[in-house]
Amino acid sequence: MSVSRDDFSIAFRSALLQRGGAQKFSVLSLIFLALIIFFLDVYGMKFTKPVRSLINDIVYRVTFLASAPTRFIPEVSKDLTSFFNVREENKKLKIELEKFKSLELNVEFLKDENKNLQKILETEYFNKNLSNIVLAKVLVDKNSPFLKSIIINKGTKAGILKGMPVTKNNYLVGRVVETNYLSSRVLLLNDLNSRIPVTLDQGAQAILAGSGLNNPILEYLPEDYEIIEDINVFASGKDGIFISGTPIGNTNEKGEVELFVDPNQLSFVTVNRNIKKKGDF
Amino acid sequence: MAKTSIINKLYNTGPLLLLYYLCISEVDSNLEKIFEIFTLNFQIILIYFWVLKRPEIMANGHIFFAGLINDVVMGFPLGISSLSYLIIIFVGTYVRNKSVNTTIASDWVTFFMAMVFSNILFFSLLNNFSDLSFSISKIGYNMFFTFFMFPIFWLLFNLYQMTFIGSRDA
Repeated sequence: MSVSRDDFSIAFRSALLQRGGAQKFSVLSLIFLALIIFFLDVYGMKFTKPVRSLINDIVYRVTFLASAPTRFIPEVSKDLTSFFNVREENKKLKIELEKFKSLELNVEFLKDENKNLQKILETEYFNKNLSNIVLAKVLVDKNSPFLKSIIINKGTKAGILKGMPVTKNNYLVGRVVETNYLSSRVLLLNDLNSRIPVTLDQGAQAILAGSGLNNPILEYLPEDYEIIEDINVFASGKDGIFISGTPIGNTNEKGEVELFVDPNQLSFVTVNRNIKKKGDF
Repeated sequence: MAKTSIINKLYNTGPLLLLYYLCISEVDSNLEKIFEIFTLNFQIILIYFWVLKRPEIMANGHIFFAGLINDVVMGFPLGISSLSYLIIIFVGTYVRNKSVNTTIASDWVTFFMAMVFSNILFFSLLNNFSDLSFSISKIGYNMFFTFFMFPIFWLLFNLYQMTFIGSRDA
């Protein structure tokens, strides 16, 4: 009995302390080192923030370079497909162009009308200043089962702050949750940690909560509210972070929200620097 | 002769390079886009197998460093993946010290224990020391698929070992 206990303790100690050969560090010393790094990072000592920011910037760039081959193959196949479909696409585009020409006139009229109405209501007219819109390239889009986020190539150097809304083609994609000097992390709307106030077509207010899957869900809807298919969902702007009326998606038959922008297909996004509300995200 | 030794060295560093590449690149073993619940922690299978079979080609320091890189890319607090990988190394080394002959079945059972210990540490630290929230079902699916995919990768790694590195079991 005592022999087996000795065996256990020898094997246990050896597993923790064993060094030599290729093993320059024992498991125990590395566990201590990892714990120190972990607590320094979690409790955010003054010097850890810039160090972490620098490490992030370097690693994100290396990740971008390392992922180049995996990005190249789908790009080539996409280009080849579009090359063969160019004639058909041209026909379709001509028809669409005609449609948009007629719609443009309508939009101009509505814009003017909207401006005039806002003046009448004496509300602050939100001027979309283009200099406050930053175009950013997606550096890393690692599909993690636990955290749905992307890394973009603009950071504090470009004036990006934590909390700023991120859009693609004017559709809301997420918000900035981590900033470094040359890069930032964007939390996508379908992440489990994402919660934003939204307005539905009929004026109902709700919270759009990420489910960790592709489609987020609606929470805190009015009592007895029944979700039907094809209800448009917009940011309500009640948190002072997102611009009210920014389109997000529409509901499907399961009551989930299908986003207008596929979070798995992002290559360029825009960050709106107009909103600069700081807070805990 | 020198050429052969360089090629052998390259083969020996293959698993370590794969680990680094998985940690730093966008490539992931997460097939949620195809099958919504299929997620897999390939890194821990890779580490466990090679720590058990050929620890000299998977140095502790490299695994620790790969864990740090993984944390930066995934957005986790620094050091948390390293800790979970070190638990895998610890269980793997313990099993290696205690056993004479290993089979796919014994490795599979001991891998389950290593995975459970490592994930308990990982998620309890994340839950208590960060603002990130996780879905328990996702963790469950991840563990389930990682556990059930282990024998497939065991066979593939074993084949790689036999073909390119040479057999030298524990």
